[in-house]
This record gives sequence, structure tokens and C-alpha cells, in this order.
Amino acid sequence: MATLVSPSNNNHRPKTSNDRPLGQQNAPRTKILLLGLRRAGKSSILEVLFNDLPPKQTFYLETTMRITPRQVDSVIPLEIWDTPANVTIETLGVPLSDFATIIFVIDIRDLYNQPISKLVDFIIAALKESPNIAIEVFVHKAEKLQEDDKIENYRQINERVLDRLIDINPDYEHLPINFYLTSVYDHTLHESFSKVLQKLIDSLPYLEELLNVFCANSQSPKAFLFDARSRLYVATDASPVDSATHNLCCDYLRMLNSFGPLYRSITSGPVRQRTTPQTPPPTASSSSSVASSSSLSKSPMTPMTPVPHPPSRKHPKELFYPSAATTLHPATPGTTLTYHLITRNLALLAVVPTNVYENRRGLLEYNIVFFREGIQEICDVEEEAREGG
Amino acid sequence: MKKKVLLMGASGSGKTSMRSIIFSNNPASLTARLGATIDVEQNHVRFLGDLILNLWDCGGQDAFMDNYLTTQRATIFQKVGVMIYVFDVESREMNKDLEYYRDCLEGLRQFSPEAAVFLLVHKIDLVRQSKRETFDKKRQELIENSAGTAIEVFGTSIYDESLYKAWSNIVHTLIPNANVLAKHLSTFAQACSATEVVLFERTTFLVIATSSSTFSGTQSGLLVDTDDGSQGSMEPTRYERTSELIKSFKHSCARVRGEFHSLEMELWDFTAVLDEMTRNTYVLVVVHDPTIETAAVKLNIRMARKKFEELQGNSLVS
Repeated sequence: MATLVSPSNNNHRPKTSNDRPLGQQNAPRTKILLLGLRRAGKSSILEVLFNDLPPKQTFYLETTMRITPRQVDSVIPLEIWDTPANVTIETLGVPLSDFATIIFVIDIRDLYNQPISKLVDFIIAALKESPNIAIEVFVHKAEKLQEDDKIENYRQINERVLDRLIDINPDYEHLPINFYLTSVYDHTLHESFSKVLQKLIDSLPYLEELLNVFCANSQSPKAFLFDARSRLYVATDASPVDSATHNLCCDYLRMLNSFGPLYRSITSGPVRQRTTPQTPPPTASSSSSVASSSSLSKSPMTPMTPVPHPPSRKHPKELFYPSAATTLHPATPGTTLTYHLITRNLALLAVVPTNVYENRRGLLEYNIVFFREGIQEICDVEEEAREGG
Repeated sequence: MKKKVLLMGASGSGKTSMRSIIFSNNPASLTARLGATIDVEQNHVRFLGDLILNLWDCGGQDAFMDNYLTTQRATIFQKVGVMIYVFDVESREMNKDLEYYRDCLEGLRQFSPEAAVFLLVHKIDLVRQSKRETFDKKRQELIENSAGTAIEVFGTSIYDESLYKAWSNIVHTLIPNANVLAKHLSTFAQACSATEVVLFERTTFLVIATSSSTFSGTQSGLLVDTDDGSQGSMEPTRYERTSELIKSFKHSCARVRGEFHSLEMELWDFTAVLDEMTRNTYVLVVVHDPTIETAAVKLNIRMARKKFEELQGNSLVS
């Protein structure tokens, strides 16, 4: 772990794993190739995910004329290549093996030969060059069809691609190709891209394990670790993902992201990033008083045991992390959605019973402190490995 | 207390769509399913408890319009509190629209000379060139056609916060004691060390009053507006953006069969609490002092509830 840095030459560079300036780092980026016919929706997908373009506006996007690599700093540094429809393996300019994933975008109404042949050709070529490449197919623009047709077309495209592959070589039957039904108008795009992204994260099992521990100790039925800006979830606990909960968390995050700049004021109040070490962060102080009272009742909610970690940390600790909570009010018991920023990029969104949030907030926040330390360490190690390799 | 609100404009200009978004909490994406309004659809919307908005959504087809202006003239135009006239920004028959508009103004002058008139230049999202320029031109045209009647013009779209801005201004004129509420909100803001306190109506999430009390209809406008001065550095569209954000989050909650109840945030630049104030209002308290805890703000809100229930009661007795 971070033992390279001795206290004497501890360099306080502003560069951390989480707020590196764009394009200045030399760590290799994980590459994703986006392919598909003209107007299949490739650029729209990227704009909606990473530029917050309103879905309605995607209609006006210009056709992509040349290969455009696009750098995205998520939990891991990504480089997503947007391509024009006429790109071939030869014109790509780099070997296909450079890419970790190919995403093939296909319009859900394209049941015909051309898009399917193109997809199949690319799959075969890709497998020849790098047998381990992940192939993901986004059956896109699902909003264009009615519910029944949607499922039918999705199934047909799925079937035709696989049939074609088996025709060519029966060994291709067990290829790891994943199909997703997506649309920029709902949450399916975020959910599908999240799943694609998760496969690229080497430390995923550790992130998931931490989430499991957090959920078990905080009476939380579901928790997500989100990339705050793009609203893609990077990891979640072991309980099954229910789309409705995912969508709600996604919307919640969007609301919080939009709230941030609304009431920002240049003239009034010191900014939190600049708080001096003497003043305790608000979250910490509010929790301490509640923590003691919670020991009165016996409950499965337990503080996570602190894991001893090497004292030398690569990055100085921040004193303040934004947080938020919203309570929903169906019948009893009611749920609370909590939001805690974990690193510059990542946010923990957890579903917590309202009574737990109100009565044991201290313990909850105590758990989050340890969760945060764990995640930050994983991110640091990940970053070091990337830079070193 | 009942206030009659006339919603008029050419067929297809978007009257029923905006009504469904503001008062029935439908998302903008579902408005395409609405059919044409036949004759007048009347409904009563309870707003702030005792204030009842009697909405007359008047179908805009020519045959209906001719009817309103002749046989039904007295019924339609008497006792009007507010007339909202909606113009489709891309209307192909602007001259006809304007002619009907002038006739309606005439009817209003005859039966309810006191009524306030709001004009909405609607579907402004469809304009591809400079929205500001298009709006200014339309606004000028409408002023010229109003024959001296005091009017307020807003550019609106159901896809952004501009609709909330326009409607907040409209309902503001209907609330009798809005200024008293604003004064008490300022006192409350001081007690909380808050930079700003905003009061929203519970179901529509339209802004009723703010602590900065400069909230008024004098600035009609579009997406980018001039600053209101007192909170100089904050986003000028923040109130209507807040309405829009909360409304759309309420939709998200409804989809998981939850009901939005409250929100607290400690973000980089500010701390904010959004919670119930009275039975029919929500309050947003924004604090920039990092030493203020959300728990303290919540406690203050709880303490202020009784006073605001009272105030609201008083303001509506008149």
C-alpha cells in the first residue's frame, strides 16, 4: 500500500486520485470503443451521460465525421472513442486489442442485414485480435416502440446476432456478449452503462464487499456507490438491484447536483473547502451527541470495527464532505435516502429506514467515516497501480 | 375566498398542458396525450388552504371563441380575478390570435375592469434562434395590441423552469397578504442566520413569498433575467428552478410509491433544509454560515409553524 511515501518527503501535491486536472496525468486510460451505424445514437449516449445534455436536445447533434476520443474521469480514467459509421478495423488507427470493451449501438428498429452484419464482422475481428475483449450491445432508442414491439425487436436482434455467429463458427455459441435495452429518455442507459463500467473496475469486489459491510451494519437494505457527476453506479451491495430504487437514487443525485450551484453565493459565508482545521466539520459534531444515546437500545445496528491501516496516507484528509438526506413518507416506517460524498468523484447513496436515520444518525455517520476511509484507500491503490504499470 | 382565473388562447397553444403540469402534477412528457379542450373546463384548485382558484380552461377553437365573445360573454368575463392569455410563439395565425385577444380584453374591460392580465409567450423552447430577441419582439407586439391595459408578459416553456416563474408571479398577485408573509419570512431568516428563506405552496410548489421580499412581477422575462439586487451573487432563476427540481423529484418518489416529505443538504457552499411549514406550505431555508447545523434549522422551523399557520389564516380571512 502507500508505503512509498515517507513522512519526510511527503509531497502535498494538489493532485489526488480524485481531482486530477483533465488530460494532465500520464496514467493509462481504459479505452472503450463505441460503434454503430449512422444515427444509431452513439454521440447522443455520450452527450447525455457525460455532458448532461437534455435527451430532447440529442436530436440536434451533428453527425460525427471522424474518430473522436473523449476522456472521462470517473472512478477510473476512461477514454471513450466515438466513431463515424464508416469506421473499419483498418481505419481505426490502433489495434483493437487496445480497447477493453466494445459497445455496439444498434437502433432498435434496425432488424435488417446491414447493422447486424457489421456487428458480427466486428465481433469476429475483435475476437481474433483480443479474445478477452468485452462485447456489449446496446439495443438503443427503445422509446421509439411500444412495449410489446420493443421486447420483440430486442429479442429478434439478440437472436439474429447469435444465430449468425453460430453459423460462422459453432464455437461462438458461448461468447460473452451482453445485450441491453437502452434509451436516453429513461434510466436504462445509465443502468446499462453502469454495468459496462463495473466490469472494467479491477477493485470492484473490494468496493462491493465494503458496501456489504456497510449495509449489514447500518440496517440499510440497499446502497449504491455512484459516480456523482455522470450518475453511473460503480458498485452496489449484494442484494439484487431493483430498477425503481436505482432510478430514484439516480434522480436524487441529479437533483442534488443541480441544487449545488443554485444557491451558491460569492459574497456571503466562508466556503467550506477553506475551513480551518480548528473548526470541526458540521457532520462530525452533530453525530457525536446522538451516538451515545443509541447505545441504550439493543439492535443489529453496530459500528463497523475500524481496520488498522498504514499511517502514511498519500493524500491529506479533507475536513468536510457534502451530505444530504431526503425522507419519503409512504405509510410507516418511511425511508430516508442518504447521500454522502466519499471521494471527489464518488458518492454513497443509501436507503435507510427513517427511524434508523433519525435515532441513530451518529452511528450511521460513524460507519460512513470508515466506509470512506476504505474506499479512499482502494482508490489510492488503484491509482498507484495504474501509474506504476 | 374564490378567485376566478381565465385561461385563454388559440387552440393548441398549450393551456391545458400547463394546467396539467402545475396543478395536476403531470410530467411534461405526458402532455402530448392531452386532447383538445371542448368548450370550458372548469375546476377548483385549493391553493393555500382557504384560497380557491376557480380555473376556467377555455377551449380555443374559433367556434368556442366566438361563443365566448357573444352569447356567453357575460358568463365568461364577469368577476374575473386574472386572465391568462397564452400565445404559441410559433403561431402561424398571429393576426387572428391578436384579434381574438383584443376582443377578450374588451370583454374584460366591460365586465371585470379590475382583472390582472398576464400574457404567456409559450413553447419558447421551439425557437432555434435567439430566444431573447424573439421574445422581445413578441412582447413589443403584444404591448402594442393591448391598448394601454397593464399587462405582464412572460416567455414560457413546459420543459424548463420558466413556467414556474410565470405562474409564481401570477399566483403572487392573488395572495392577499403576500407582503406580510414576506416580512415575517425575513424575521425568520434572521432567527436562523439564513441567507434566504423561500415559502412554497405545497402541491404546486409555486413560490408564495421570499425573505428577500423583492419578489415581484415587475421583471418579466426569459431564461436570463436581470439581477434582483439584494442577493446579487446568487443565481437569479433559483426560485423557479427549485420549484421545478422538487416537482420532478416528487414524480420520481411517486414512481416508487413514496411521497416526498423533506430534504436537508450540507453541500460545499451552503446548508439547506426544505420542510413542511404549514399544512399547505413548504419552506426552504438556505444558510451560508458553515457553523449552523441542519438540526437547528429544523428546530426553528418547528417553532415557527404555529405563527405561520396563524398568519396564513389571517391573510385569507379578508
